[in-house]
Amino acid sequence: MDERFSRYEKIEFLGEGQFATVYKARDTKTDDIVAVKKIKIGSLAEAKDGINRTALREIKLLQELNHPNIIGLLDVFGHKSNVSLVFDYMHTDLEVIIKDQSIVLTPANVKAYMLMTLHGLEYLHNQWILHRDLKPNNLLVNSAGVLKIGDFGLARFFGSPNRIYTHQVVTRWYRCPELLFGSKMYNTGVDMWALGCILAELLLRVPFLPGESDLEQLTRIFQTLGTPTEQSWPGVKGLQDYIQFKSFPGTPLNHIFIAASDDLLDLIASLLCINPIYRLNCQQALKMPYFSNKPPPSTGAQLPFPAALTSRDAERAQRKRKIEDQIERGVQPKRLQFDTSW
Amino acid sequence: MDDQACPRCKTTKYRNPSLKLMVNVCGHALCESCVDLLFLKGSGSCPECDVPLRRSNFRVQLFEDPAVEKEVDIRKRVLKDFNKKEEDFSSLNEYNDYLENVETIIFNLTNNIDVMETNKRIEQYKRDNRELILKNKIKIGREELELEELLEEEKHIDQIRKKEIVKEELELKRKKIKEKEDLIDELMFSNQDAKKIVNEFAQISQAAAKEMESSKPTAPPRASQFSTGIKFGRTSQQSAYHIPIIEDGPLYTYKEPEIVVDGPEPPVWSEIETGRYIVHMRPETVEERAGGYTANIACMRALQEAFMGLYHVSRPEQGQSS
Repeated sequence: MDERFSRYEKIEFLGEGQFATVYKARDTKTDDIVAVKKIKIGSLAEAKDGINRTALREIKLLQELNHPNIIGLLDVFGHKSNVSLVFDYMHTDLEVIIKDQSIVLTPANVKAYMLMTLHGLEYLHNQWILHRDLKPNNLLVNSAGVLKIGDFGLARFFGSPNRIYTHQVVTRWYRCPELLFGSKMYNTGVDMWALGCILAELLLRVPFLPGESDLEQLTRIFQTLGTPTEQSWPGVKGLQDYIQFKSFPGTPLNHIFIAASDDLLDLIASLLCINPIYRLNCQQALKMPYFSNKPPPSTGAQLPFPAALTSRDAERAQRKRKIEDQIERGVQPKRLQFDTSW
Repeated sequence: MDDQACPRCKTTKYRNPSLKLMVNVCGHALCESCVDLLFLKGSGSCPECDVPLRRSNFRVQLFEDPAVEKEVDIRKRVLKDFNKKEEDFSSLNEYNDYLENVETIIFNLTNNIDVMETNKRIEQYKRDNRELILKNKIKIGREELELEELLEEEKHIDQIRKKEIVKEELELKRKKIKEKEDLIDELMFSNQDAKKIVNEFAQISQAAAKEMESSKPTAPPRASQFSTGIKFGRTSQQSAYHIPIIEDGPLYTYKEPEIVVDGPEPPVWSEIETGRYIVHMRPETVEERAGGYTANIACMRALQEAFMGLYHVSRPEQGQSS
């Protein structure tokens, strides 16, 4: 065990969560940079149960998963009374990218991020796993521009007819209406809704539905998308925490996303469908015309990267090169356009 | 200067040194206090030509002749729409005609000739060239931004240069002092001929000075490029390419992910119902359905789990995987 502990050389402290601290480390065997997540031993009562539940979920599920858009669990080792998980090292996450005002997200960038997320999620759902905590913060991005879904602390198998699930999952802003109404049997729709919120956030660059409480969250949803009725969502009144809301007509999506193309609006509308039965699943989403239409998704190198993370000069040089390239390519067609308009 | 007077209250610069003449779009001047008085409500009409005016449009008169002021105003307004560039025309003659046309319009408006007709012409032009006007507006805004950036950069370079010069001077002074000291030392302790020593030192310092002259850095070439690598220049057509559209990636087509079943092919979704698998499942309740759960999901999962890995045999080389 100790041999494996010493295999990873700590480089720097990256962050601390509720259950774990994360370090950047070097794998001395392969010389790769990895992220080591050291699970905290909580209270004594928790320790008695053994390992922390979220960590157990991550280990259990991630060990069986292997997909380019899912975070890779490389190793698990114990040291003294601690358990540590070794992951792919990811440089940043989508939240940082969304919040960085110096980054311009082009339609092609948004499409690329959505595609990578959907591919990862399709794989998960095909393995009968719900992520249950999708948010920009959990969509990790590495320096090559590859997006990987991370943090499987809330993930679970789904599709059992006689098992009930807690509805206290998913960060509130990305929580779907059926969870907010306390449904105990749910489906891939919870992840798809969160994805819709993330897509909206990529476009708006601010959280789409930032509710302060569960009640306000529902109000915001219905104000934006319209209050459901017994006709549009049969059985909604039977959900455990159902509350009658004032009937809002909803705001047309093209008033909110003024710059979005029609195929993109279609995708948003079908991801943020209030009734989970009619909400898209991953496969249906990937088959939407939005993804096959122009512009094609950006490839890895064209995706933005937060300036704070690169040495500024290197980034500048890179940008300069890129722009020069584009100028060389760009001049000709523009001239032609001028001619035709004249 | 003395004959600058407010046409309304007749105050002159001589009698009131703090007199400030203001003009509005009509080109008639008024002094500041008259403006305050007449336009208490924010708007009113010019006392000379009765054109309705807004108080916020008054500004300090820069030129002695208010007509010039008026022309500048009109020019600014007209050129906002007539913002075509030489490169928008196919020949120089066309461009010259266009410029002439603009001048005629401005002249007409300043001298109140055919105002109605001229305004109509402007409107017509605006309608015909809406897109181009907008495009050029954006372009001009960008160019201004670039100019600012360039100025900033030049300032920065200037500062660096100044610092370098100061540093160089200091160094030179120090060197001279040192040379002098060396010479005195040499004269004091050497037993050679004093004249020879002086000559030697003079030669050395001359050579050093020459060397300095030649190694002086030539002024850096005028910046013609921004830090971002965009070439600067008023005529550069490239300026509209800050965020060019990249369309070289392949378009996306959906490919179904391959699932290794290692067993008989599990039924597809449509077969769940037609194949009567579903009758063995407990149908979902209305509430479960409202939550997004349907019985065929559970049915599918059960079938997949049952079928997967049925043909699996552990091969010796994969020994332990069960």
